[in-house]
Order: sequence, then C-alpha cells, then structure tokens
Amino acid sequence: MVDFARVQKELQECSRDIERSGIKVIPKSEATLARLIGTIPGPVGTPYEGGTFQIDIALPDAYPFEPPKMQFTTKVWHPNISSQSGAICLDILKDQWSPALTLKTALLSVQALLSAPQPDDPQDAVVAQQYLKDYQTFVGTARYWTETFAKKSSLGIVEKVQKLVEMGFPEAQARSTLEAAGGDENLALEKLCSG
Amino acid sequence: MQNHDGVQVDGKVESAASVATPEFDEWANFGDQDIMQQHSAIRAEEAEKIPFLGDKAILKSLDFEPLSSLASEYQSGSAILLEKIKVLGEQYAAIRRTRGDGNCFFRSFMFSYLEHILESQDRSEVDRIKANVEQCRKTLQSLGYADFTFEDFFALFLEQLDSVLQGNEESISHDELIRRSRDQSVSDYVVMFFRFVTSGEIRKRSEFFEPFIFGLTNATVEQFCKSSVEPMGEESDHVHITALSDALGVPIRVVYLDRSSCDNGGVSVNHHDFVPAGSDAPKASEGSEKVTPFITLLYRPGHYDLLYPK
Repeated sequence: MVDFARVQKELQECSRDIERSGIKVIPKSEATLARLIGTIPGPVGTPYEGGTFQIDIALPDAYPFEPPKMQFTTKVWHPNISSQSGAICLDILKDQWSPALTLKTALLSVQALLSAPQPDDPQDAVVAQQYLKDYQTFVGTARYWTETFAKKSSLGIVEKVQKLVEMGFPEAQARSTLEAAGGDENLALEKLCSG
Repeated sequence: MQNHDGVQVDGKVESAASVATPEFDEWANFGDQDIMQQHSAIRAEEAEKIPFLGDKAILKSLDFEPLSSLASEYQSGSAILLEKIKVLGEQYAAIRRTRGDGNCFFRSFMFSYLEHILESQDRSEVDRIKANVEQCRKTLQSLGYADFTFEDFFALFLEQLDSVLQGNEESISHDELIRRSRDQSVSDYVVMFFRFVTSGEIRKRSEFFEPFIFGLTNATVEQFCKSSVEPMGEESDHVHITALSDALGVPIRVVYLDRSSCDNGGVSVNHHDFVPAGSDAPKASEGSEKVTPFITLLYRPGHYDLLYPK
C-alpha cells in the first residue's frame, strides 16, 4: 500500500516551495494520490529554456521503498529521454532510488538531467548519436521541440509559419528557416530578412 | 524516424535471465520498467527461499551441522575454511542466517540489538540509545533532510525499542520479535532507519570518513551516501559498520570466515571489534576494561549472519 500520509506531506512541501523551485506536483484526479502530474521548467541556458514540461507520475504500492514511475508526457528531444514514449533513463528512478528521496528531489534530478545529458548511457539512441556527432543539429532540434511542444502559451509552429507567410515569405522557406532557428520566430524573421 | 529504445538493454537482460527469458523479437520493446519488474520478480523468487531472518540453528561442537549446505559448498574447496568452521563451532553455539538481499548487515544488527534488549531488559541502555537517536535526528535536520523523509522510520524503530521492554501494553514476546523481523512492513522500515542514521553520521563527519570512502569507491562522501548507503539493498562495508556503531554508540563484533591463514600454521578465526568513537558506549565496567560487544556477526565475503557465543 502506498504511504499516502507521506505523499500528502510531500505535496504540501512541494507547493510551499513552488515559487523558488518552479516544480509542481498535483494529483491527476481527486480519486487517488497514486497518480500525479509533475511539472518542471526547462533549465535556463539549455535548449529547454522557456519550456514547461509535464511528467506523468505513478506511485507503486511499495512507495517510498520503490521509486515513483516517471514519464514525460511533453515531447522532449534529449539523449536520456525517449522521443517516442517519454521514458526517462535516470539511476535514481531505478536501483539508486532511496526512501530518503522525494518526488520533488526526483523531479529536480530530472531537471538536472535536462541540463546535463549523459549520451553514453542513452535512452534514445538516435538522439544520443546526434548529440555526439552533430551537436549543433541536436541543439536546434531540441530547441524546436521545446518551442513546439513545451510552450503552450506561445503560438504553435503552424501559426508562426502562417505569420511569416503573411509577411510575404514563401511558406517552404518560412518553415525551413523557422526550423533552423529552433522555432524562434524573431530569429527566423531576422534570418529571412538578412538572407 | 527510427527510435532505438531498449537496444542498449540487452546486456542488462542477459545478466538477469534466470526468470522467464523473453523472446528475442520482444527485446526491442523491453524497457527499463520491464527490467525493474524482472528484477523484483527475481527478488521475490529468492525471498521465497530464505526469510529476512532465519531460525536459530544450534551448532554442535566441532560441527557446523545446520550449515551442511555451506559445508558441502566448501567441501571440495579450501581446507582452511573447513578448519575455521570447526573452530567456530568451539566458540559459538548457534548461527542465525539472514537473507542475502544487500540489507543483511542492517537486518542482523536490528534483530541482534532488539533481541539483546528483550533478553537483558537493560533500561539504561535503552535510555542511552534513545539519546543517541535524538542526536541522529538533529544531525539529519542540520544536514537539510526534510522531516517527513525520515520521521516514520525513526518512529517505527523507537516503537520496536519500547515494545521489547516488558511490562507495558505494547510489550512483545521473542516469537513476536521474530515475526516482526520477518515482516517487510516492519523490518524494511527499521533497516531504512539504520541507513538514515549511517548516512547522517558519515556526512556529519565527512572529513573522517572521506579517505576510507575514497579508498573504497573513488567517490565523494556525498556520492557514496547517495549511492551506497541510502538506497535499500546496497551492501555494507566497514565504513557503514563504523558509522552505525559510532552514531548509536553500540559496539559490534564481526567474525571473519575467509581464506586467510595464520603465519604459525595454526588456524584461528579473526574478528574485529567496532567500538564506538564516543566514550558513552556501554562498557562492562571501568574505562580501562575491554569493551565486549553484545552483537556478534559472522562475515563471509559479501554476507553477514548472526552468531551466538557459547
């Protein structure tokens, strides 16, 4: 049986600290505390900056003796996160888990993983290959994915292309420039104007 | 776009293949969670074989009879070990085995300590260790651990401590102590309590422990505590034993059953006493008197069991 009293305390502690950490954990539904949704901000100075990433959390019966199961629901381009399923490769979510850790410290570790990819122990081999062999393209793709999937408030990629087309640029060129700029519409506009 | 999730897991799968081996074509979909599941299935299977804590097995003199499986294990091997097993039989009356799940040191310590209190009804020792436990709590707080991460584990240990003292409503019998030690919902909590205490002590005195840890694992104190002390199932070494003994002020004797032999050709079984650094350890009498630990563990490379002196 999940230790719900502890989970309750963890949620309280997390919400007290939300201003500072930016890390949020809320129950998925009112029915149970065994399914939660975690939210982490993309770390500053990384291709994930500005993005908000959602993580699906399922607590096994033996929690806190067994690690929480965590999986990105927001699509992420990262060597240690599956670009398809969102599965995370992180030691503390497996055999290095300890009851001394919490949902918040686990999410902080996931956030740290975004800052410091470990391509030698990949979850997603394709992304890891790209990270090692063509770092610039990796950064561009990761930034593009962040823009496209992790920024809910900003415009979707379709709208951005539409906006550039309205300014008079050809659609194919607008799209490719936008992709090259990692989804940054202002940077794309600059490139389109100068090019 | 091709995704190769799971490609890298092949090696890990092979090393854990004793339970149902998946078909090869499923391996591409064999993710981390499947591996975790397989690991816990293997653990559960092993758990069926040996309880957390075994029965007390009487050693006949010169004969490690209840360990016939162990003896046969060594029969074709080292004569030194067989000799040592005989010597052990002369000094020790019984052995109690613990499950080899990486928690054996802490579980042996737990049972041995609580059994000692149950049998001795030494209330001054209980008062003494409670003061140390409070100190450990403060240590963890000052190291920045959130209370809710450790308080349940502390509470459960203190509860066991009170219940082995007789004469109150919660008092328990020896049989009940054995039952609880085999019950995961009690036993694992107490093991985790000791892991917290050990980690806190190592971090608090990191300068002292640093060289030992560096020699052992090449890791920093912080890394060592996170990866080798706090996770359940991580095996204990002399660093863990020293830290736990110091933190709780409880001396521990470890008897070594290994292949080392003596220079003079005679066979003796080595032991080492871990005596707490603090001076408030329970002592037989005057300060100059040698401390005799009431906890005796048998160490064979990779595993600890409990020994009962004659």
